[in-house]
Amino acid sequence: MKNIVTLSIITSSFLIAGAYKVPEQSINSIALGATYVAHTNGADSAYFNPANMAFEESDKQLMEAGLTLVHLPENKFNGYQAFSATEVYSANGESEVENLGLPYLHYVSNPMGKVRWGASLTVPGGLTKKWNSDYQKLFAQEFTLKVIEFNPVVSYRVSDNFAVGGGFRVIYSEGKVYSDGNQVDKPIKREMEGDTIEYGYNLALTYKPIEDINLAMTYRSNINLKEEGDANLYIGGVGKQYSANVTVPLPASLNLAISKTWFDKFTLEFNYERTYWSKYKSLDFNYGSDIQAPLVEYFDDPIAKNWKDTNTFRLGATVKMDNITYMMAYSKDETPIPKEYINYELPDSDGEILSMGIKIDTSDTISWGLAYLHDEKDNITLKSGENKNGIIGTFSGGGADLLTLGVNYKF
Amino acid sequence: MKNIIKTVALGIPLFFVMGCGNLDQPSNESVKGGEVVVDFSASAMKDTLISEGLADENSTVFGYRAYKIPYTTTDEEGNEVAVSGLFVIPTGMPTAVNSLGLSMVSDDHGTIFANSDAPSVIASNNGTPDGSSVLLTSLGGFATLQPDYIGFGDSYQQHYHPFILKKSSANCTIDFIKAVKNFAYDNNITLNNQLFLTGYSEGGYVALATLQKIEEDGELNVTMAIPMAGPYDVNRTAFGILSAPTLSVPSFMADFGYAYGKAYNIDIDTVINEPYASELPTLLDGSIARDLIDPQLSYDTTGDTGLFKQDFVNNFFADSSFWFRDAVVENSVHAWAPQTSVRLVQCQGDDVIPFGISQITEATMNAMGARDVALVPVEPTLGLDHNVTHSACGGLAYGVATKIFSDIRKTTIGY
Repeated sequence: MKNIVTLSIITSSFLIAGAYKVPEQSINSIALGATYVAHTNGADSAYFNPANMAFEESDKQLMEAGLTLVHLPENKFNGYQAFSATEVYSANGESEVENLGLPYLHYVSNPMGKVRWGASLTVPGGLTKKWNSDYQKLFAQEFTLKVIEFNPVVSYRVSDNFAVGGGFRVIYSEGKVYSDGNQVDKPIKREMEGDTIEYGYNLALTYKPIEDINLAMTYRSNINLKEEGDANLYIGGVGKQYSANVTVPLPASLNLAISKTWFDKFTLEFNYERTYWSKYKSLDFNYGSDIQAPLVEYFDDPIAKNWKDTNTFRLGATVKMDNITYMMAYSKDETPIPKEYINYELPDSDGEILSMGIKIDTSDTISWGLAYLHDEKDNITLKSGENKNGIIGTFSGGGADLLTLGVNYKF
Repeated sequence: MKNIIKTVALGIPLFFVMGCGNLDQPSNESVKGGEVVVDFSASAMKDTLISEGLADENSTVFGYRAYKIPYTTTDEEGNEVAVSGLFVIPTGMPTAVNSLGLSMVSDDHGTIFANSDAPSVIASNNGTPDGSSVLLTSLGGFATLQPDYIGFGDSYQQHYHPFILKKSSANCTIDFIKAVKNFAYDNNITLNNQLFLTGYSEGGYVALATLQKIEEDGELNVTMAIPMAGPYDVNRTAFGILSAPTLSVPSFMADFGYAYGKAYNIDIDTVINEPYASELPTLLDGSIARDLIDPQLSYDTTGDTGLFKQDFVNNFFADSSFWFRDAVVENSVHAWAPQTSVRLVQCQGDDVIPFGISQITEATMNAMGARDVALVPVEPTLGLDHNVTHSACGGLAYGVATKIFSDIRKTTIGY
């Protein structure tokens, strides 16, 4: 169960610009707010567009390592929680501020003819979300998520202006979900933990119609994540442990991007991403045996999600001045979660992302970079009857601030 | 190249040490000789009872902690059977009560067919307080003892249920009382020596059978028994059933005939017509609820389409030495003289067990020299201006019983 929720959050974090989003995993991708598909260069091409490894000018091995510090401000809720027409309670509250450190590592081999390979090890979705206010705890006292992706890739240079790439995705995730209704006259509690290893693939191609224009497409496959673990479910002071699993989709995503470079110094990239969240119809938990009848409503009945596909539009600019590169970007994205299905564990909304960064070459083989990203979320107001989880009121706050420090090394 | 491979190789385990490990088992209270299956605090109980309209803010409500306790009893044939029961204690009681100890109420449940309706099974499956023990424990402050009966709980599908059979019914309750006393001692639960007996419908019959055996054995002391709406005079009950053209609840009568056939080693197909005789072992194995059993049985009492064999019914009425005549007399619990105080609580509007059965029981017992037996009709006791049926009477009858038990405890124990 814990895993289930965790995966749900993970997917959100990774593929949408949600409150917990860790959009990318390198200096450039943070600085450009994920507007980093057509015009990638360096070791992080292995992750963001493996086809571009084939166009890498350097014939050396490339490596980038770094650490992203993630600050997740509190979500605030002002309003009411309704359990029925006659059970409506004031439910103001706020989640805890969370700070995370997410490391990453990218590698690209030196060329072997027209072929080049690489690999990335990233933490695309680490987060914790904790509510200490009474009604929120019933649904999401704590959600903690750890996600790791290992992504070996290979590229093939078909011609001087066309290359393809692809890879194999290995995703490991684990997490825990705690919820507790004892403070709101619902003597039920859950403790859930679980993990999974799942597999998928990614594809990429880059076409250069002329030397300073890149057209690129990347695709990441849908992965059904079957989270398996244990769930302790309590009524009153008595708990029982069950084996538990749930399957959630890590949806496919398609990126289409174009970049134009002027004078080898100034590059603009436009990126459109389509994320196929509509595959996420419901969240259905399965247990090794029947759970206690009063808990079924809360912990076993399928939870309707009915998420929708999302569109994200990004615009990024790169200015390269001798040994210093400046980057900045703006993104506008939308949440996949209809208002009817929003809940406390992920009060996500449409948002805007501003990012910037700098990278300095300190030698022919080493460069250092610093990047910052700010994710600003819209408030969400849910009117009476609008939300199927009985939430009436306004979510505010949330979003994210990310700061990445990384180093690139050629050898 | 070697360097980067080394770096990645070092990095992978670094990332994976984030593993969260296995989830520990729930941290339930550990007890000796049983398991905690329900544990609601006083505040949780109060909130629940207020939401159900059973209490208000001014009500005194205690917490509810229930244990499933396995034990061994003896069936009609004298064989040992592994069975189970539910023991419920109030929590959050005043400190003084801990030294005075809890008074016990042995509460025998009414007729059930599905194992899922047995007290310890309900508690284990739902994890929530249920039924009469809420009234007795959380509102009354009593330790409540509810045997599952042979055929249910731990003996589910291991043994037929001895329905309205005196010996095994009494054994099952008495052995549970003894098991609970041992359990309480082992787990530092302080009980006093006050023991009340009650039960409704089949449970009323079992409670009176239990009292009779306790008085015969002399091992336990009962403060008062309040059997409620039971078929104490089984002979008269059988006459009433078999003389009527139709059966109001055929599952009850089928269980009655089936259990007696098993206990007296009589082929069931000499008691019950086919195809019902062949179907009863499945219908009554504890896997099916009553509302699904009745439609599969005949509502005609006898005849070619009836539930009971015509010869069986004829012999019952015509042959005074017929085995079933002896059996129903042997298993009746109304014709003796209790030396314990007994209150026979029943609704006058009972449509399943005639109120007259309680009247006859009171009259018979007093005529035979009972020390203190009285009839307590529910409707006038509660000031109701209308009669109440058997199913609707249960909660009211338990309310009357709880009040009587509480008054006695207040007088004798002091709380």
